[in-house]
Amino acid sequence: MFDLRLSAEQLEFRDTVRDFVKNEVKPAALHPSRLEPFEKPLLGELLDYASRMGLRTLSLSEAAGGAGADTLTSCIVLEELAAGDVDIAMSIALTQGLARALFESGASDAQRSALLPAFMDDHRYHLALAANAAHADRGWHYHREYSDDAPPAATAARQANGDWLLNGSFAFVANAPIAKLLIVQAKDDAGGTCITVLVPAGTPGLEATDATAAFGGETAGGRTLARWHHGAGGAVRLTNCRVPAANVLSADGAAAFSDAAYAMRADAHVAAVNLGLGRAAYEAAVDYAKIRVQGGRPIVQHQSIGGILADIAIKLELARNAIWKAAWAADNPEAAAEGASVALPLHTIARTYTAEAMHEATLGAAECFGAMGVMRDMPLQKYVHDAFVFLNGCGHDSATKLEVAEALAGYEREYV
Amino acid sequence: MDFSLNEEQRHWQAEARRFAEEEIRPVSLRQDQMPDPFETWNWDIIEKGSKLGFRTLAVPKEWGGPGADFVTQAIVMAELARGDSAISKAFSQNWKWSHLIARSCTKEQKERFLKPFLADDRYLMGRGITEPNAGSDNRLPPPDAPKAGFRLKAQRDGDEWILNGEKCFIANGSVGSLFFVDARTNPEVNVRQGGTLFMVPKGTPGFRVGKVFNKRGWRFYQNAELIFENCRIPHANVVGEVNGGTRASAGDTTGGDIFGDLELAANAVGVCDDAIEMAMTFARTHKRAGRAVIDHQIVQLKLNEMHALTEALRSYVMRVAWERDQGGAIGANAGLAMNLSTDIIQKVTRLNMDIHGAEGCMMNARVDKLVRDAMVWTHLAGDTVQRVKILKRLQGTHKTPSAGAH
Repeated sequence: MFDLRLSAEQLEFRDTVRDFVKNEVKPAALHPSRLEPFEKPLLGELLDYASRMGLRTLSLSEAAGGAGADTLTSCIVLEELAAGDVDIAMSIALTQGLARALFESGASDAQRSALLPAFMDDHRYHLALAANAAHADRGWHYHREYSDDAPPAATAARQANGDWLLNGSFAFVANAPIAKLLIVQAKDDAGGTCITVLVPAGTPGLEATDATAAFGGETAGGRTLARWHHGAGGAVRLTNCRVPAANVLSADGAAAFSDAAYAMRADAHVAAVNLGLGRAAYEAAVDYAKIRVQGGRPIVQHQSIGGILADIAIKLELARNAIWKAAWAADNPEAAAEGASVALPLHTIARTYTAEAMHEATLGAAECFGAMGVMRDMPLQKYVHDAFVFLNGCGHDSATKLEVAEALAGYEREYV
Repeated sequence: MDFSLNEEQRHWQAEARRFAEEEIRPVSLRQDQMPDPFETWNWDIIEKGSKLGFRTLAVPKEWGGPGADFVTQAIVMAELARGDSAISKAFSQNWKWSHLIARSCTKEQKERFLKPFLADDRYLMGRGITEPNAGSDNRLPPPDAPKAGFRLKAQRDGDEWILNGEKCFIANGSVGSLFFVDARTNPEVNVRQGGTLFMVPKGTPGFRVGKVFNKRGWRFYQNAELIFENCRIPHANVVGEVNGGTRASAGDTTGGDIFGDLELAANAVGVCDDAIEMAMTFARTHKRAGRAVIDHQIVQLKLNEMHALTEALRSYVMRVAWERDQGGAIGANAGLAMNLSTDIIQKVTRLNMDIHGAEGCMMNARVDKLVRDAMVWTHLAGDTVQRVKILKRLQGTHKTPSAGAH
């Protein structure tokens, strides 16, 4: 059985978001006044709009008030959204993914009852995950256990009255500046185990900064740093941040944010956003190639440009196939067990292939624009930049693909 | 074969390296990060470099310039580019037109323009070919199509020409004192038969600068619109012959088009050297997953590739420069080296970024700058039109006009 037809509901989602992107997002996101400055604040009103369309709660079950979208449907929607604005898409991707993990499996009934109504009612209610960084160097520990030389980013100490006291800091947490609830992973001082705690924004001792400045100051090593992420984000600091025991997730609930299923969905979502970015560059190049006349005919009729556009189209198709397959595998975990799916991390394959392919696609699309491809009042240079950020950022780099090599060699870590 | 440099070449290399390290590099990122494209320029660095001879390096000795050979020019461009690719280009852009003046201008024109150029540390030059609807068309005009190529119009009125039209992306446009402007003096025939090259000094009535383009890379180096509205130019400012603009500037044996190709390839060598230096330093001084970055095989392979590509490009660039100094027939090597430099600079700067990786949500700003600078090579040196154009040169069937406003 092999069937790539989309359901009527999926098509409707896709077309609705496509219209939203065309009519609302692109006019704002691609306006020269937005493109030219180095600073790139989140387009908050459009993010709210996306929430009102149901995208923030997309993958929550219908019983919880969401659309019950599976991973494949989320990927279809995120690709469309990212074709308009990659930052909005990344913020939505994260909140809707975390919402599913939290409200469908992570939270207890009591926690869900306490939090879900506010989350559903407030279009500016976003979620963030301050995760233990043990896996941040994924791929670099090739065929080795994760090293212990990096201390956990946060620690938790139980108080006499049952509260927990959190201390520590995270250099960067996606969505932190817009999150009304942070899901924080911390190491229990006493037991040494990891616990996962829900920390509402505004809790005394919780501080989230907004990393929107285009350039940071000099580091101790004398390097100047440039902003390098998509969507909202910033550092999170916990200083004697007191949370009640009721905010701690059960061990099973905590796994919702650290198990393979979460990683599969999250990677597929980011790859879909990356794909949408490449598609935006591609569509711009095709449109331009049809109207730009050089050598007496539209450049799309020149073999040289045709070859570039064909290469991009092929990469988009292959990336989408890889993403949809990874999404399908995430939605059908039994398929791997039944032998219907290869025993490789399809989500990592999708993520890595898409990052590399969209990097090349955006460069090719920019080439079609000649000198206009590097002008800051035009979108092509932004697409190229954004693709570089996916290639070496957002949890991906050139070592990520080694996860695939570990899997094909059958290597498994004792501690994950 | 002899790959050694002579004393004069070593002198210029050392001077350029010192200037790049002590003067250019410290201001490089600051100028790059100016948000307003008008503000990225810095006259101080130009004046300092001019006093050391970097602005006038290619002016022949008989006219009072250093008269450096092509090998020296290639070395200096690469060394300056190690400090900042765009600043290196702001200097070498003048060499291109020094070559043109030396070859194609009359003695009287040289008196009027080369002497003030030599005397004034702020005297810069540029050339206007590209127009909003004539970019690739200038590089590879369809044979015998009168509508292809630049359209800026020049009409004769007694001893004067009246220029009307617009140029875009013109290098040094906002800061130049003298521009070589390609105009159509006969719109009924193709651009090679009906184009004439004019010298237009800054301040000529009817000639003004429009916007400065806001670029992703090479931000120091300013590209601007040049606007001509009934701009009167004396006939004495025609370079070469009327309707002979292409002949005046292309196919010359001393520079012009060929220099422009060598220029981009040599500049790329300097950027690659910078990337390698950064990558090696980072890989030796930082750890990933508990090990020195340089101890990871995936990094070792990247460093190997960076070195191999850069040294291969350097060899090619130096060979092209040496060939030019021997004064032999013009082949396609300068153009091929330019095309290749596009692939190599983009690969090497990207590998440097791969090795550095992100630092949380941040990236080393200079690593990003090198990647952004490298992107300008695509349309200047290595797009499909540039590559097809070089093939025409190889075929020997097509005499091409100048490569555009680099």
